[in-house]
Amino acid sequence: MIRATILVSGDPQSLSRGAEEVKLAIEAELSFYGLANEIEVGFGGGVTRVDVLPTVSIYPEGVIYGPVKPADGAFIVEEHLYKGRVVEHLLLPTDALVSGQLASLPAGKEGKQYAEKRVLLRRVGVVDPYSIEDYVAHDGYFALGQALTTMTPTEVMNVVRESGLQGRGGAGFPTGLKWSFVASRAEETKYIVCNADESEPGTFKDRMILEGDPHAVLEGMALAGYAVGAHEGWIYIRGEYVLSKERLEQAIRQAEELGVLGDDIMGSGFSFHIHVHAGAGAYICGEETALLESMEGKRGTPRIRPPYPTVNGYRGLPTVVNNVETLANVPPIVLNGAAWYRTLGTKRSPGTKLYSVMGDVNITGLIEVPMGITLREVVDIYAGGMKAGKTFKCAQTGGASGSIIPAALLDIPMDFASMAEQGASLGSGALLICGDDTDIVDLAYTLVRFFKTESCGKCVPCRVGTAQMLEALDRLRQGYARAADLARLEQIAGYAREASFCGLGQAAPVPILSGLRFFREEFEARLRA
Amino acid sequence: MSEIHLKINDREVTTQSGQTVLEAAKSAGVEIPVLCHHPALSNWGACRMCVVEVEGMRTLQTACTLPATEGMVVKTHTEQTFDIRKFVLELLFSERNHYCMYCQMSGDCELQDQAYGHGLDHWTYPRPYEKQEVDATRKYFIMDHNRCILCSRCVRACTEIAANHTLGLRNRGAQTMISADLNVPFGASSCVECGTCLQVCPTGALIDARSAYGGREKDVTHTQTTCMQCSVGCDLDVVTRYNRLLRVDGVWDSAPNGGLLCVDGRFTPLYETRKRVVKPLVRKDGKLTESSWEEALGLVADTLKGSTCQGLAACATTNEALAAFAGLMTQLGGQAGRLEPVAPALGYGVPATVADVLDADFIIVAGAQPLEYQRVVGYFIHRAADKGATVAVIGDSENALNKRAALSVASAQAGVVAQAAADAEKIVLVYSVGIKPEVVAALKPLGDKVSFLALDPARNGKGAEAAGLKPQSPTKTDVAYILLGEQPVADALRVPAGFKVVQTAYHSALTEQADVVLPTPLWYERSGHVTTLDGVDKSLQTVLPAPADVRDESVVLAQLTALLRS
Repeated sequence: MIRATILVSGDPQSLSRGAEEVKLAIEAELSFYGLANEIEVGFGGGVTRVDVLPTVSIYPEGVIYGPVKPADGAFIVEEHLYKGRVVEHLLLPTDALVSGQLASLPAGKEGKQYAEKRVLLRRVGVVDPYSIEDYVAHDGYFALGQALTTMTPTEVMNVVRESGLQGRGGAGFPTGLKWSFVASRAEETKYIVCNADESEPGTFKDRMILEGDPHAVLEGMALAGYAVGAHEGWIYIRGEYVLSKERLEQAIRQAEELGVLGDDIMGSGFSFHIHVHAGAGAYICGEETALLESMEGKRGTPRIRPPYPTVNGYRGLPTVVNNVETLANVPPIVLNGAAWYRTLGTKRSPGTKLYSVMGDVNITGLIEVPMGITLREVVDIYAGGMKAGKTFKCAQTGGASGSIIPAALLDIPMDFASMAEQGASLGSGALLICGDDTDIVDLAYTLVRFFKTESCGKCVPCRVGTAQMLEALDRLRQGYARAADLARLEQIAGYAREASFCGLGQAAPVPILSGLRFFREEFEARLRA
Repeated sequence: MSEIHLKINDREVTTQSGQTVLEAAKSAGVEIPVLCHHPALSNWGACRMCVVEVEGMRTLQTACTLPATEGMVVKTHTEQTFDIRKFVLELLFSERNHYCMYCQMSGDCELQDQAYGHGLDHWTYPRPYEKQEVDATRKYFIMDHNRCILCSRCVRACTEIAANHTLGLRNRGAQTMISADLNVPFGASSCVECGTCLQVCPTGALIDARSAYGGREKDVTHTQTTCMQCSVGCDLDVVTRYNRLLRVDGVWDSAPNGGLLCVDGRFTPLYETRKRVVKPLVRKDGKLTESSWEEALGLVADTLKGSTCQGLAACATTNEALAAFAGLMTQLGGQAGRLEPVAPALGYGVPATVADVLDADFIIVAGAQPLEYQRVVGYFIHRAADKGATVAVIGDSENALNKRAALSVASAQAGVVAQAAADAEKIVLVYSVGIKPEVVAALKPLGDKVSFLALDPARNGKGAEAAGLKPQSPTKTDVAYILLGEQPVADALRVPAGFKVVQTAYHSALTEQADVVLPTPLWYERSGHVTTLDGVDKSLQTVLPAPADVRDESVVLAQLTALLRS
């Protein structure tokens, strides 16, 4: 008889902070007290806030401790499980995880949603990612069941379309519209591809979903398949995401055993199979057409568009390619309706958004907030302000391919349309917050070096342009560049943005262009007299 | 196909749906610069030279990939497109070693032409390139990576035209390189030396070992003729200068091969090492001695009169010569035949053309080795396999096609193939002399669903068929008249006749036995016709004149006929 379950956060962040040792300490202590038969121990997902990792959750009480050291683990067993007393000083504010309220938040002001709002992350760190029963107990596969029994495929598609869900991979394309392109195709075979090749530097939102709540992605894919008439789905997962892959594969097995995936799901006659395909470490394969090439066993280089994947996708057939976060949005939308979804976020960009916050701030990690909150709110409230002695200089959004945002834009609402109006992009949702000691030229150099390494080499402006931009930036850093060199750098950047084949090449010059736009004097200060 | 109207540079242009903007512009006489694009290859869109402005589109578009649509308004030559093209060229010149004066392509190089066209008068960008290795491990051509612009034309040619998949790209970004197989030297790779990559390279990166520095395009002469190395009958574009063969190219818009050649069509005849027969030879005192045509032909005519005679042709000559040969032998009351065996008739099915192989969905190869003897047909089978066709090989010996075959069985199991093919829509049976009677019988249930392509092992087998020549083996007669042409013969071939006349271009084991040897022209010295596998009569053009004492077989046979009449 199991009377309690202990989950130690088992994401790579936690593991690097000693989660394995914590688990071992707990297991040893349980044996010591003779509790091993009545209390099970396992790994769960992380809670996304890096500073409280690793965490230890104890059910059925729902008490969460963090950060926990191995010695604390033994203490928790003795106090909590043997003596039945909550260890107050190790306690993490449970509100932060379960009800979606960070305890440290000030009260929301009128008309603003301050609180971290958990839609996608509501189960992450709460359920055991290895347990489909846990997922089902937290409303899992309810949306799929509801769709298959009470809705037509068109109704499912319309809910998603009316919800205003936009692709979370970075471009913000309306998801329902993309689905309708594929649904309208006459081909018998269609595919759903989940883009889990999260390679944007500093972005780890998809990984947290895959590791903490893998079934949510599977359910989203099955719903997409039902809506557009596809019976096969592929998850293209970044090769380095070993843990995510393991959990996904386990989840697929469980779902097939339970009959929520596979042939004739829940007796509805609808069949949907999901396979996992691991990438091999190329950033370009996150670009959807290069991803499809890679899946077909070819060299990962972008395809000519048009035709788009909705017409000529995997194996030349109509294919929906959606990001992990996009697909994880689908079950709650189907379950709660488009109107509910539109209560979150802004009019133009409904819903919540995951941001991975890094840099010179007090709290780093993943947050889920409604679309449209400002960068200032993220920095001051969720990230706990700038580190002592530092002031905000700029933020780099969207990983490498986003843009540099200066302090002047701190109060712009962060949604796809508002950011685009400022010539910036939301991108993947990475937020690198830079303090006043950040050197913009060095930042641009680092980012361009990344693109030079990751360019696929297909088109000339990207392949050679990134090398030339890096060369010019290097000379600037070394102090050899003259004004003409800077002018030429700006020119290459402009041409490369204009002429490159795909998004990678078009994004590569952005650090230079936006750096020059907002911090030109820093570039000029490096020039040789 | 429907008509599409668009505006290119303020001019109304009408084109067909499915055409790209580049094609539409070309048909209207507007040249858009390209580097990675090649009309015989799929579109790639990578060099960005062909960028154009299209009204209503946010970014510049590549003309080579953009489908023309109704009402489109395109500007091909604007300040912006010029700047981008020049930028691309400046980047390419900074990437690797492009010092034109040391390059054999200088003057004919597409990169150089574009650079002149866009006013590149100095190196704009620093050139931090590393020296790349030159791969000279292949006999017929050299890969100089220093001059490569990574347009990937060669890769696409290898993939799409030859379907051999030897060439690819390795690494990424600035480290990208053209690579043979998994980065092995060219000479150790799976390359079949069809040379298509050579023909599509826009710069001096792929170098033909023979014609390099041999003359620019303005210096050389092009002559189109037909390949005589096997029965397929591909079109050749032979490049010459100073009465010397420089190079052989494929002809893109020709049937059946569409520009694809094989090593025997493109390279080996230019590296011929056999000793040429250039004068008539008569055996005197046991030794072959040079003589005049009068003497040699007089001796042959005298010997033929009143003797039993057998004529054997190697079918490596023109239709005209084969007809004259058959006619003369009949006139002499002798027997005339061909040396090579012939593929048997099936008794069912309909004849196929070589091109039919390309859109077959089930290809049966029985008793034939097209990758050895009719290579272009072999490459076509590979191409069909790439498109999804099932390849089934029937035979009792090793076949190079086995690698790509879904099914490979011995003759006794041919019925398995017949069953597998039963549901196919378009079945092509490629067979040759090796097909066993039990295979013919086993495939019979497929009946007229089968289109068959009988590969003749002789170079001009169809011409021999038209002349009524059937396979014969040498018999004991007074005189044997052997029409050999360029065909090599096995050392073991023994002709029992008392007096042997051999009409050939090269010394061989057979000339050693001969009493009279008469010289014949080589493939590029001939005129006349040959009949291809598809049954089409193609003409041979004299590319270079034959040596003074070499006469065409048909001429010699006519002279002999006249002598015998007198």
